[in-house]
Amino acid sequence: MRRAALLVAFALAAVGCGGRAADDSAARRHPGDTRFVTLVDRDGDGRLEAGRGEPLVALGGPAGRTTKVLATFAQITDPHVRDEESPARVPFLDRLGAPFTSTFRPQEALTAQTLEAAVESVNALPLDAVVVTGDIADNAQRNELVWALEVLRGGIVRPDSGARGPSGPQLASDPDPFYYRPDVDAPRHPGLLARAQRPFRSQGLRAPWHAVLGNHDLLVQGELAPDARTQAAATGDRAVVRLDLDRLRGPALPRADRFGEGGTGPIGTATVARVLASGAAVRVTPDRGRREITPTEAGALLRRFSGRRELRAFDLGPHVRGIALDLVRRAGGSDGDVTAATLAGLRRELARAGDRPVVVFSHQPLDRSAGGNAALDLLERDPHAIAAVAGHTHRNEIRRRGRLWLITTASLVDFPQQARAFRLVRTAGGGLALETWMLDHGAGPAGLATISRDLSFLDAQGGRPGNFAGRRADRNARLNLRTGGPAPARR
Amino acid sequence: MTRRTWLAALGVAAAALVVGMCVTVAYALSTGFERAARQADLPDVLVRFDPARRAEVDARLRTLPGLEARSYRDEVTDVGLRAGGHATDRGAVHVVQGGRRGYAVVAGHDLRASRADVLVEPGLARAWGLRPGSTLDVGTLGPLRVAGEALEPDNVAYPVASAARVYVGRDDVARVFGSGEQAVSLAQLWLHPGASTDVALTQARAQSFGVRGLSFITRSGVRTLVGQAAGIVVALLVAFSLVALGAAAVMLGTAAHADVQRRLPALGVRRALGFSRRALAVAAARRAGGLAVPAALAGLALGWALARGPTDALLATLNEAPPGTAIVGPLGIGLVAVVALVVVCSTWPAWTATAAAPAALLRGGELRGRRGPRRPRAAAAERRLPPSVAVLGARMVAARRARYAGVVAVLGACAAVVLLMLALASLLERLRDDPATLGKRYSLTVSADASAVPDVEAVPGVRAAAARWQLHAVDSFALGEDLRLVAFAGNHVPFEAPPLAAGRRLASDGEAEVGVGLADTLGLAPGGTLGVQLVDGREVRFRVAGVVRALDNEGRIAYVRPARLGAAVDFTPNIAVKLEPGADRAAVARALDERGFPPRRTAGATGQNGALLGVLGDVLRVVAGGVALVVLYALVQALALTAAERRPTLALLRSLGAPARTLAVVLAGAGAALVVPAAALAIALEELLLAPVVAGLAADYADLPLTAGVDQVALVAAGLSALALLAAAWVARRVRREPIAPALKEAA
Repeated sequence: MRRAALLVAFALAAVGCGGRAADDSAARRHPGDTRFVTLVDRDGDGRLEAGRGEPLVALGGPAGRTTKVLATFAQITDPHVRDEESPARVPFLDRLGAPFTSTFRPQEALTAQTLEAAVESVNALPLDAVVVTGDIADNAQRNELVWALEVLRGGIVRPDSGARGPSGPQLASDPDPFYYRPDVDAPRHPGLLARAQRPFRSQGLRAPWHAVLGNHDLLVQGELAPDARTQAAATGDRAVVRLDLDRLRGPALPRADRFGEGGTGPIGTATVARVLASGAAVRVTPDRGRREITPTEAGALLRRFSGRRELRAFDLGPHVRGIALDLVRRAGGSDGDVTAATLAGLRRELARAGDRPVVVFSHQPLDRSAGGNAALDLLERDPHAIAAVAGHTHRNEIRRRGRLWLITTASLVDFPQQARAFRLVRTAGGGLALETWMLDHGAGPAGLATISRDLSFLDAQGGRPGNFAGRRADRNARLNLRTGGPAPARR
Repeated sequence: MTRRTWLAALGVAAAALVVGMCVTVAYALSTGFERAARQADLPDVLVRFDPARRAEVDARLRTLPGLEARSYRDEVTDVGLRAGGHATDRGAVHVVQGGRRGYAVVAGHDLRASRADVLVEPGLARAWGLRPGSTLDVGTLGPLRVAGEALEPDNVAYPVASAARVYVGRDDVARVFGSGEQAVSLAQLWLHPGASTDVALTQARAQSFGVRGLSFITRSGVRTLVGQAAGIVVALLVAFSLVALGAAAVMLGTAAHADVQRRLPALGVRRALGFSRRALAVAAARRAGGLAVPAALAGLALGWALARGPTDALLATLNEAPPGTAIVGPLGIGLVAVVALVVVCSTWPAWTATAAAPAALLRGGELRGRRGPRRPRAAAAERRLPPSVAVLGARMVAARRARYAGVVAVLGACAAVVLLMLALASLLERLRDDPATLGKRYSLTVSADASAVPDVEAVPGVRAAAARWQLHAVDSFALGEDLRLVAFAGNHVPFEAPPLAAGRRLASDGEAEVGVGLADTLGLAPGGTLGVQLVDGREVRFRVAGVVRALDNEGRIAYVRPARLGAAVDFTPNIAVKLEPGADRAAVARALDERGFPPRRTAGATGQNGALLGVLGDVLRVVAGGVALVVLYALVQALALTAAERRPTLALLRSLGAPARTLAVVLAGAGAALVVPAAALAIALEELLLAPVVAGLAADYADLPLTAGVDQVALVAAGLSALALLAAAWVARRVRREPIAPALKEAA
């Protein structure tokens, strides 16, 4: 009788725990692969736990069964690796309200570790290539870009600047209640800042990787073209920690764009200087490594770390071609700009791609960039162009423009901190389908990436309230491509 | 039922009565807040701020993690309220904006959009005699019909709270002020189960830029504040329940043992007839259970009935809900505990006594084994010529030394608890008239330069004095959070030290202890930094050493040392004057005045809590009355057992022609032998153990002079004596009714 009761109890326990056990098992077998396991807050208590996987949703009509995999690749975007100790940071701007949102993030000391966790997650897949679509650094500082590229290439990363050890508004000694201070605020993570400054070893991307620059890689705060003033601020020893809000009535501040990313109006460094001059400052240890980078230098660093001489186009395996578009406005402004030269270059690369399917990568989405429609028209006319993939918006989204799929992917800095995987397949009947699904990152060095994601989930200005994770169909989908049969030759 | 059975039943009922009272009070107090909070759907976080546009505030709050629901009100304070012959200009009008209410309608009905209604808090309804249908004048809104009573346990009730709270609908306000957008100044936030309030507060602070006058009150914070007030009382009552049960166990065990000894031959016969030990023990248990269940039921019911009235009054003062039928559960547990105790105490002696062989049992247990030698000793003691019959009684009761010690211990413990209760009630009474003590540990202040401290300390009756500066400041970060800085030159703990919620006391000029209210608003924790802007515009920073549960200024207070405040404390401080224990405050005040230091009495944090303190005192007195019943039972039981065991001696006295009075004197002597050492023990226990322990429990709040006064000691001693005489008279009456011959035969 007792044995029977025990059996019943075990059976009941198995039934009760079945869902969770299955989720855990899937998580072990497919780490980070959201087709098998996702991270959800089932009960709304602000804590993420393992949830059921999200199989691909068919979009664009039914596609035939897969007969051949043409390419498998991944996209990492907007890691915003930042030097949170830099005197060039402006975390206090948050309290001005839009468009200055998310100038401070609770998890901002953990960006390098989060990128490393994403690299580990991407490496779990057999990939032909990885494309990093911009905003690799956060504030156009050289040290930020170098840390990020070191993570992508692999090696020892030292995410510390100025004086050794942590500094900045997140220290417990900072009395400002607007900042999350992990030593004293909930959820408490004592010693987190010190751990975030420690060197760690990155395994680097195993697949060939390519990078596109974003506005935050070349522009101060993703908005301003660096000049002598901003250079002096970045490499100086004076950090503004607080603004006198009453003295900010005068400057014409930029308006928020409809995507919440930065402003649409130009803002000069003179205005910035005036704003910063009104604030209270503290002394910090200067660091030459914080100097703002030029576009030429950024390009050189990309080539050096990725080992690619050519940045504008690359192979995504033997059967698929990728084209990278640099849309960053060198003169300032966060929106993308498709210039005539960019359009000409796109036309050239499409022609060079031959009969291979083409995926276009940019930081800013083409449909939200000045002159982007011309580029999209061009792509729509090209029978081999299948998708335009971007970042910048920090949100997952899949839309269709004619026969072209427009895909944006969540950032690694805001929740849900995901990368995106792609698989281009040939289907029965000779058609193509692009499968895409999200990849959650793992724990990262010393578990810091998990803390980063948890904090990003709590962030009241971040991706959770903004629903940056998107709808289910924005995440995991099988996109039917109506390009059956041999493509006509390009002129 | 025999008299012995009645006596046992009375004992059980007395113990159950005390348990019933303690359970009723302790359960009601310890669960009152949660019950009321559940009933009212009290939000997890209340956010107060200067009036702002609802949309603007909502845009920030709706993004908080773990948020389940939110609703808004506008809270307008210092509004004139008038009804009948009552009036106050401290009305707090809550303009309800829809959504979840956060209050429970406990009488009448909720606000209706179509009618000019007002809801009033139960305290106001009680104090002013308002009922649904009454009319209340609410400031410029004019006369409104009282729709009902709304219970919201985020604060104590009017008039303990100075502000009388009423609720009106937004339509009522629109009717008078127009239908434009109404500002809000209070947000109610409900979190999902399991969500962290602290995390939500961290994000709320990060989102609060531009919102001024911000303060947070959390449900757990309210619970803590209420809990700390009720905690001491609950702890005392639980402790006393255990004392009462222990006393009952000793007495019942002793009685059961005597009963078993008396019935040993009968038990022997049954054992000889083949009854097993287990069967005999089960029979004893059944008999005890049959006696205990009705007696305990009656005792518990009486205890509940006695304690319910004062307890409900106390709960109403705290804006909390009475337990209603939920009390049945705890009382049921009390019933089980009492009955189980009685059964065990009655069965165990039977079980152990029947371990001997039937033949030994038939020979009589009183003459065998280790108990044997004592009887001759006791008899020898009695054979010596006593100087008086009263001393004879004392010798009789003291002959059974272990039992004697046990009874004296029980009586002493009970009397000590009564002494403590009386001391507490008296203290609360004093606090009602003179609320200076609670919250602060000094009784007087004088306005004088800090250099005058030695002169003040030289005044007879003054134990210590220290300069105290109090100044207003705001936080450094545009929250507009005004806070009170209290700076003591030197250690502030002897003068003013709210209980620590986290961390430690400040130990240097650069450290601060901050109130919970301030900590919640500014996100302060031990190790953090408090930045304040002084009136001269300077910013001063302090490292937070601890968070304290301060009541003043809703906890928006910080204790620091004056060194860093610089010129901000260039004004004449108040010198806090702490008196010697027992010093006459009026005399000290006169002496200070004569020396040119006109004093002021200190107003404590509970200055308006007179009603609450009075009700608390009533509760304590009711419990003390219950304890007296236990004492009476213990005395009667002890004397009855002594009389039963010394039947031959008492029969001999009666056969020699001793009058009834002599018997009473003998038993009164026995009673005196019990109560005199018990009284001494009680005084020692109260003085050396209970008072320091309870004062230690409350040490964070106040210096509680809980040592019993001479009058209280005299009252308890007189009460014990009276109870001893009562018990002696009752037992003597019983003894006189017994026949003499059988007892004399027993002696032969």
